[in-house]
Amino acid sequence: MAAEIWAITSGKGGVGKTFFTSSLGITLAKLNQKVLIIDFDKTGANIHTHLGCKLSETNLRQFFYEEKPLSELILNTNIPKLFHVQGFWDAWGSPEPTFEATQRLIFEARNLNFDFVLFDLGTGVDSTYLNIFHAADERILLAQSEPTCIEKTYRFFENYICFSLTDSKIIQSVEEVQNDLREFRRKQNKGNFSFRDFLKEKYNLNGNIFNQYHRTPIRLVINSSRSRLDQDLGYSIKSVCIKYFDIEIDYLGYIDYDNAVWHSIKEKVQVLIAKPFTHLSGQFLTIARQLSSHNFQSNLFKEVI
Amino acid sequence: METLQYNYYDILEVSPFCAQHEVTTAYERAKTTYSGDNPAIYTIFTDEEAREMLNMIEEAFLVLGNKMLRALYDEKLGTGKTKAHDVSFETLQAQSKIVFKESPKRSVSTQIEYEVDAQIENQLNSISDWSGEELKKAREYKKLSLEKLSAITKVTPFYLNALEEMNPEHLPALVFVRGYVGQVAKVLGLKEKVVVESYMSKYKVKIGKK
Repeated sequence: MAAEIWAITSGKGGVGKTFFTSSLGITLAKLNQKVLIIDFDKTGANIHTHLGCKLSETNLRQFFYEEKPLSELILNTNIPKLFHVQGFWDAWGSPEPTFEATQRLIFEARNLNFDFVLFDLGTGVDSTYLNIFHAADERILLAQSEPTCIEKTYRFFENYICFSLTDSKIIQSVEEVQNDLREFRRKQNKGNFSFRDFLKEKYNLNGNIFNQYHRTPIRLVINSSRSRLDQDLGYSIKSVCIKYFDIEIDYLGYIDYDNAVWHSIKEKVQVLIAKPFTHLSGQFLTIARQLSSHNFQSNLFKEVI
Repeated sequence: METLQYNYYDILEVSPFCAQHEVTTAYERAKTTYSGDNPAIYTIFTDEEAREMLNMIEEAFLVLGNKMLRALYDEKLGTGKTKAHDVSFETLQAQSKIVFKESPKRSVSTQIEYEVDAQIENQLNSISDWSGEELKKAREYKKLSLEKLSAITKVTPFYLNALEEMNPEHLPALVFVRGYVGQVAKVLGLKEKVVVESYMSKYKVKIGKK
């Protein structure tokens, strides 16, 4: 049985990736799924703090630099059915993880005896992150409603398009796509057409070159929403992505701002554990249900019976 | 490639099979996205581009928001002979007038035929104190049945009868009575202001409001 891989990232830092990943993991575990969270933030991993676990020397560093298999790095948490792999907190000054090693990590993660493996990626457009993001079964992009964050979200989109177009050999080099995007931006002002139309025209391509995005669309989540406007923002971003790039994304939903979240981080008890019967946990339940496959629902049904 | 036009469904981002209310929701969402300073268009579209987009959205909704025009539009695109950019709101509207002719309004002839009698005519002109009885006289002189008068004024014969009898038990509130009297006076070709004022003061006395 292959595990489903979900990757979580964001364009801007501090929007709540780790909080979202840990909450989603807990929700899935509560739904009786075996869940592994892999902390893949290279700039300081802290999923263990959210889950209330101690720092351990058994972490991803040993996978990348000591050739230990992933299955030996899995640690328990206080929550039944939820496990985690800690990130590199003690790999100061080590070289970047290689492409091959990253692919091996994804391969091993897929073959673990788990229902879901969640990757908590770091912020931004690092090629290692993009690799994992691209390989995942579900790609979740987190954003908040400030203009700064939205700007960075669009930059992430553009970077990801560059990355995946070159990866799938539609366009040969990254530089070429970059030039295309630049040219598109200048030309776009003169008439309304999308990036896809532009590429089709330029390279004489047929068919849906953005098929890879449409099959399982990138899922957008608006975190710490404080108003109706924030909730509707997801639809607006979706529309802009269609009009500008002609890429269909999926607006998965929003998570309301909740004061209990920072409070619980201070207490080092995850908020869904400290306050399990709140609106917040309901929102996570909805998102987990929406994301989970048909397979998962039939499994759940069996468990209930 | 300069101005590649999308079809209206693409612009509103709805399926051609969507229900009418979904069009409205999509339109409202699109309007909030591209108007004002929605953060979602920040660094992607300039103000000018957003305005242009908004124009397209408005035009799309003018067509898709209207069931009749939408049906015509579907038909045009469905044949495959017409391309989306050959169709605009104006052309569709012009064609809708050909396909769905405006139904002629059901009109009731307001022509009243009667024999002019100078004596009665003078008499009617000289009356300055109108009551239900006088109204009835005028109506009978003009050879109008209650039913015919009702068809013209759109006031039920029951009320018209009550009006002539000045029967408050069968009449609605004062404002309505005032309106009815005005209409009747107009149809009968009487001096509307004089009739209404005098009738109403009499009627008010009758119901004890004055």
